Amino acid sequence: MRLTTKQLTLCAVLTALALALSYLENLFPLALAIPIPGVKLGLANIVTVFALYALGAFQALMILFARCLLGGMFAGNMNALLFSLLGGAAAMLAMIGLVRLGRCSVYGVSIGGAAAHNCGQIAAAVLTLGSTAPLYYLPVLLAVSLAAGALTGLAAACLFQALDHTNLRIS
Amino acid sequence: MRTRSWSSKPNGWDALVVLAVIALALGSALAVWGGGGESGEALTAVVIIDGKEADRFSPADLLEGPRTYSNGSYTLEAAYGLRGAESAPLDHEPPSGEAGVRVAWADCPTQDCVRTGLITRSGQSIVCLPGRIIIRLEGGAPDGGIVDAVVG
Repeated sequence: MRLTTKQLTLCAVLTALALALSYLENLFPLALAIPIPGVKLGLANIVTVFALYALGAFQALMILFARCLLGGMFAGNMNALLFSLLGGAAAMLAMIGLVRLGRCSVYGVSIGGAAAHNCGQIAAAVLTLGSTAPLYYLPVLLAVSLAAGALTGLAAACLFQALDHTNLRIS
Repeated sequence: MRTRSWSSKPNGWDALVVLAVIALALGSALAVWGGGGESGEALTAVVIIDGKEADRFSPADLLEGPRTYSNGSYTLEAAYGLRGAESAPLDHEPPSGEAGVRVAWADCPTQDCVRTGLITRSGQSIVCLPGRIIIRLEGGAPDGGIVDAVVG
């Protein structure tokens, strides 16, 4: 797929924004309240949801892979790369499916993506640790994904509403 | 701005997604939390490092002293804990509660294993992702789940 300079630039800006949101998330450590490895708000998913609707699946996927790769490099941890790749790919597949279905609002898409993200991360933990012990956390992580997905869905909806009142043409 | 058709109004399909997630959460809870019932054997902590069993002990063994486990550049210290012992005993009664294991100290950056706190039931586990170390409880709770113990 050929990208215009404008689309490429927008993808780069959104990747940078997703990385910044991932970093910002560390200022609100949800794990202090819910002590489970990997539990977080998933603020970077706002960018993924936005890109999926505004730019399409291909560019959203490119932004996701770039974010995972750069995030893993910045963290200096290949384990982190596997976790974010599996979580992100699962979330993206679920959200593409829900968007193509054309029935859900941005909230349903976001919640489905958050739940799939946690399933992907648990799969990464099972692969990394060579044990099914991480499955113990799955029910709690899925419950958290309801709230986290609704929150990112709300942020994406506010973003769409704000942008609909501008003359900005993205695609 | 032109975006693909999107809606910010929650509808019945969103409710279906929520119900599907709840069903998955409940189903997985039944599968992973419901399977750790009383087995008749004493509660045992199993330490798994890099997918291989590295140690196996009774939580009470930790009364002799905490045990240290390392993998790569990460180290954690497993210690004895007693749920319910936080409430001060009256008239110098020995503290009572459910015996278990906690990670008292770890040098990993995330500290999730320390924050997990005390685990006392079969099937529960403490996971250190950076160190790839798991402490998992197996077997039924000794003495029907509640034990009396004197600490210190």
